[in-house]
Amino acid sequence: MLDKRIAQDVIDCALSTGGDFAEIFYEDRLNNGVSMLSGKVESVNSTRLHGAGVRVYLGFQGVYVYTNDTSREGLLACARRAASALRSDARIHGKPLAAFDYVDNNPYAILPSQVKAARKIEKMRAAQAVMADYPEIVQSSVRYNDSEQRVWIANSDGLYTTDTRVYTRMYITAIASNGTENQTGSEGPGALQGFEIFDQRIDPAAYAKKAAERAVTMLHAPVCPAGAMPVCIDNGFGGVIFHEACGHSLEATSVAIGASEFSGKLGQQIAAPCVTALDDGTIPNEWGSENVDDEGTPTTKLVLIENGILKNYMIDRLNSRRMQMPVTGSARRQDYSYAPTSRMRNTYIAAGNDDEAEMIATMGDGLYAKSMGGGSVNPATGEFNFAVQEAYIVKDGKIDHPVRGASLIGRGSELLTRIDRVGKNMQMAQGMCGSLSGSVPTNVGQPMIRVSSITVGGC
Amino acid sequence: MSHNGEVDNYSVASRAGLSLRGLYQGKMGYAATEADDEEAIAQLVGGVIESAQLVEDDAVQEIYRGDEKYPEIDNYAPALDRVSEADKLKLLLDMEKCALASGDERIKQVDYNMISTSSGSTRIVNTYGLNLSQRDNMAVAYLSVVAKEGDRVATGSGFAFGRDFSALNAEKIAREAVEEALFYLNAAPVPSGTYRVIIDRRCMPDLLSTFSNVFSADAAQKGMSLLAGREGETIAAPCVTLMDDPHRAGGLASSGFDSEGVATQVKAVIENGKLTTLLHNLKTARKAGVKSTGNASRGSYASPVGVSPSNFYFKPGDKTLAELMADMGSGIVITEVSGLHAGANPISGDFSLLAKGYTVENGQKGQPVEQITVAGNFYTMLKNIRAVGSDLEFPGSPVGSPSVDVGEMNIAGK
Repeated sequence: MLDKRIAQDVIDCALSTGGDFAEIFYEDRLNNGVSMLSGKVESVNSTRLHGAGVRVYLGFQGVYVYTNDTSREGLLACARRAASALRSDARIHGKPLAAFDYVDNNPYAILPSQVKAARKIEKMRAAQAVMADYPEIVQSSVRYNDSEQRVWIANSDGLYTTDTRVYTRMYITAIASNGTENQTGSEGPGALQGFEIFDQRIDPAAYAKKAAERAVTMLHAPVCPAGAMPVCIDNGFGGVIFHEACGHSLEATSVAIGASEFSGKLGQQIAAPCVTALDDGTIPNEWGSENVDDEGTPTTKLVLIENGILKNYMIDRLNSRRMQMPVTGSARRQDYSYAPTSRMRNTYIAAGNDDEAEMIATMGDGLYAKSMGGGSVNPATGEFNFAVQEAYIVKDGKIDHPVRGASLIGRGSELLTRIDRVGKNMQMAQGMCGSLSGSVPTNVGQPMIRVSSITVGGC
Repeated sequence: MSHNGEVDNYSVASRAGLSLRGLYQGKMGYAATEADDEEAIAQLVGGVIESAQLVEDDAVQEIYRGDEKYPEIDNYAPALDRVSEADKLKLLLDMEKCALASGDERIKQVDYNMISTSSGSTRIVNTYGLNLSQRDNMAVAYLSVVAKEGDRVATGSGFAFGRDFSALNAEKIAREAVEEALFYLNAAPVPSGTYRVIIDRRCMPDLLSTFSNVFSADAAQKGMSLLAGREGETIAAPCVTLMDDPHRAGGLASSGFDSEGVATQVKAVIENGKLTTLLHNLKTARKAGVKSTGNASRGSYASPVGVSPSNFYFKPGDKTLAELMADMGSGIVITEVSGLHAGANPISGDFSLLAKGYTVENGQKGQPVEQITVAGNFYTMLKNIRAVGSDLEFPGSPVGSPSVDVGEMNIAGK
């Protein structure tokens, strides 16, 4: 753990050359993983991450130095190195550190590190057994990962806080083959919770069934035709469309320097009136939740878009200086080797009023994207692309046949204004999101939505 | 990273990690740590034993006794470690300054720029007395700029890397980024259809890297590669030779030994269209009854031993990009694809990717193109290659390529 007196000395040392803010982030994390291929345990891993990072600001200048020598001397050396990169005549001292209490929103019952790997393997076998029953599934992969991350954060404003984050997840992939072609189906359920998730909220067999059926369906599907068409995107991981096409462009990382297509548009209509979207780090035990963010700010429930109007950006401390707007508890980082910046947490389009069956019945000819794959976006231009894992051609309002190899491309701002239906069945799904401060767990989510026209790329 | 002439993110690190890999009752176990407290030893030893007991791998695993000779690889330039912080910051700010001073008011800002220097060492020690070590260092500079005109926005990027810091040229990097952003400002989709396509030297490495795992014997033995058991067969056009060269001077993945301590070797994976070998580590080689090709790799010190290529590239042919374009007549040159982690399936070989590029008309560079997807299959593409260019480049990664005429591909646009 981070000793309060050491933290105070490190902060003062970091400020010794004229910095106007200093922070120390101290992390101890144990990652455990098991991977299984077609029923055989391939590897069992245990890795402990341990280190700390010191950050100093002077105006808009930031310096970040990290180390895994966490002795008092090691941390002070780290602080001196950070301080040496800045120079001003002002001198401030850190305020006395005060304990900061919060309500633990993300309780866990069973620490995964206390669970024998053999029991984790039992849960994996439950998933594997389901996939083994499909003759066309030639390979199945099941990965199990847990992580216990303990962080301590102290800064020159007198903040001293800690958070424990326990993550448990299973990642299931089925590969169907006819000898010359392979198709895959994947599911990756997880939560910010302990090993009890497998008793309470995640049934590995049910997810394995979904993955296997998707792979088999796609193996028999013809390729997707290309062109612009109306598209219905189903709930759950379908929310990746909002995450990629809009979410990244609402992070202060790109907004603060005017590099986002949504810079300067607060209060303006940027989406169709049926769209309300949130980024919420406070939902108990959800994959993207935290008690405090990686700058020690309590996490928040943030309305990004309300009835189509842009309401808020996601803002970290450095960018809050630039934007002269308050922080939103959105500062995150993969681990101590990254300086934090504004990131998404659980990001979703809120439930609307439309009926899902009606949405398809009235769409004419188009595409029903039942399950989405991953994607990416260029925040400066808003150009996004993502893959559709499972898609169906809709003919005259009726789901006709599955198609494989579909991808969706476009610009975020156009997509938002073209949403013409928002269903009621909001659901979230888990993912890992990569950006400037590394890879962090995030939820995506939405009810089924319909977009009047998207460019579909086929094979 | 800098913004408006001020450095806003300057980061320094020292990081070390230790991984213990050992045979316990004939099975290999792993554990790793960054902490050096008392708990660490228990976690390492306990982790190795638990993983060795549970792993159900019938393959015989071994700790390597070592080779007689190892190639000498020069991956370390002492002068680079002595470059001052002030010189690094100057280069960073110079890139931003050069980009904004381009004289073109459509260049509105630098949205990302970065200088990174790294210096490290790797050491493998085992109970057979093997003791190998290697130092390396590297400097990388990257710049991305945004161009705006009315409603239109485009980005462009430039980069350089190497062990000679003075060779990183801010002006050249900035010019590359500015020219690219301005060129794509007027880009538009082309109509959907089948086009003749050249994938240029900056873009092909991304595609090759995404599908490089199909050449791994580990993937093949697990049924994840359609190349399993096809050594000796023709899998690509006769003009295609694919090299794995761990001894390449200045290469980002150059090394005298692999992650198991096996001496590395230069080889053609595809030679004139024929698959000569897959890439092996000790385990996959034993299973296949061949010798390790020295391609054992670990993603980091904490990762298990897998298989990956070293410096991996299509051997250049003798035509320039201009000549490839002239031969093609009309078609599209693809300069960038995105969404590779989602739109490319490394198992089936299918890809459908958001792409940028330009049209070619009468053999000449035509209009900029964006908002299209290019779709195909990696295995089919290898067979359809008509010509490999002479302009080999490694775009800041160990995977490189010249520009390649890949024949026909499906493009979705307007």
